[in-house]
Amino acid sequence: MIVLDTRELDHPMPLEIVTDAFKNLGNAQIIHMIHRREPIPLFEIITKNGGHYLSYEDSEQIWHIYITRNGDLEEYRV
Amino acid sequence: MFKGLSLDQAPPISVVLRFFFSAAIFGMALSVLTILYPIHILTLADPFSLAALHLLFLGVISMSMIGSLFQMQSVLGGHPIPSPLGNSFIIHVLLSIGIVTLAGAFITQLAPLFVLSATLLGSAIVYTVFLILPLLFKSSLHNTLRGMRIALISFFITAILGIVMANAYAQGNFSEHHITIRSIHYSFALIGWIGALIIAVSFQVVEMFYVTSPYSDWCKRNVFRLIPAALALKALWLFLNLPYIWIFDLLLGGLLMGFFATTLRRLRERKRRVSDVSIMFWYSGMFLLFVSLIAYGSYLWFEHEAILTIALIAYALFALSIILGMMGKIVPFLVWFHLSSAGYLDTPIMSHIIPVKQIKALFLLFILTSLSAGIAVYYPPILRITGIFSFFMFAFLGYNLISALKLYRYTLTHSQRFEQL
Repeated sequence: MIVLDTRELDHPMPLEIVTDAFKNLGNAQIIHMIHRREPIPLFEIITKNGGHYLSYEDSEQIWHIYITRNGDLEEYRV
Repeated sequence: MFKGLSLDQAPPISVVLRFFFSAAIFGMALSVLTILYPIHILTLADPFSLAALHLLFLGVISMSMIGSLFQMQSVLGGHPIPSPLGNSFIIHVLLSIGIVTLAGAFITQLAPLFVLSATLLGSAIVYTVFLILPLLFKSSLHNTLRGMRIALISFFITAILGIVMANAYAQGNFSEHHITIRSIHYSFALIGWIGALIIAVSFQVVEMFYVTSPYSDWCKRNVFRLIPAALALKALWLFLNLPYIWIFDLLLGGLLMGFFATTLRRLRERKRRVSDVSIMFWYSGMFLLFVSLIAYGSYLWFEHEAILTIALIAYALFALSIILGMMGKIVPFLVWFHLSSAGYLDTPIMSHIIPVKQIKALFLLFILTSLSAGIAVYYPPILRITGIFSFFMFAFLGYNLISALKLYRYTLTHSQRFEQL
């Protein structure tokens, strides 16, 4: 699990950091992005490049985004 | 949970850039007019002044704002604008020719040009409003959407009143309500269209871009109730020629002053103070808004025409400052986003797409333009210098856009994609 906490980073660093990590992501790896808002443009980058994501907002209004290449994210579904 | 987001959120890069390039070109045209006719331009209601005013507010500011709406609608509005290539082409062509003919109409005073410009600009604006406004009513309501709705409705009202006035110019026959209509036209354009859209977008992007605390819910909820209410009542008061109309100006000024104070506080208290030139445009924009409000308040008291000119110039520069700052964010983002979503591995990082030193140079030219414009109000020949600075500023803006586009095309042809590995 690659945890990327981008809550304190200015735009556009969260998108750049996670996209960069996604480019180098192995098939068995998962990125867990923690962010202050839902990164909508990131989802298009991931899905257009064969990746999969799952996102949810927790009770403290923090967004959790899980990203893989193989699509196996069921265990993270809330 | 999975969110039901539609993909292909962002419009093709050409959709947004055609509006931004045109804004730079209209800015250069405005600068040339300023260099050639500085005294006329500083005379309120002079034909050259009206031509310059519309080149600025339609050619530069509205052109940029419509281009930005094509990008922002999908992200902030939740529903992308359909057929962005075709729709942007129609709006852009109508708007561009309409602006040229309107400026020509003011300068030449030819009646057919007024009719043609009213038809083209009216069509462009009504088409834009009818294209985007229904999308805003489809989305779940939040305060930014409420602001965008008010902005578009105000833009529509501005256009209708503009058509009425263009018709009066064409016929050379001004009704007894002409000055009233002109006041309402200005109020809806400056506060309803430009002001409300900037405030609505600020509620999202200031927090998102600069990691600030969010604007208060009370502000976000009520500002978009008070602006349309004050504008509607001001229009009614003007038509009925009722007393104490300054109360509505005071209310609108108070709202904008509140926006200035809360935005400035958020920018100063932001969590991470990384170097970002766009924030300098936000600071200068807020300062110019403050100057504009103080000057307008002074004008209401002293009724000195030069102070009104300062208020108007400062307000236009406030909007331009925010727009230039946002362009510096939007254009690199679009280039990066389109390359990244197409899977290009060597996509440059956003801060390299328009290098910081180029944005700093643009900011310096903006400051020189603003300072010289302020001095020119009291010493009009200086406006030629303003025109020279602003010409270089808009030319440099065009250069920044071209260099970003060249980098985009270079990466498209030279970089490897994920699927090629």
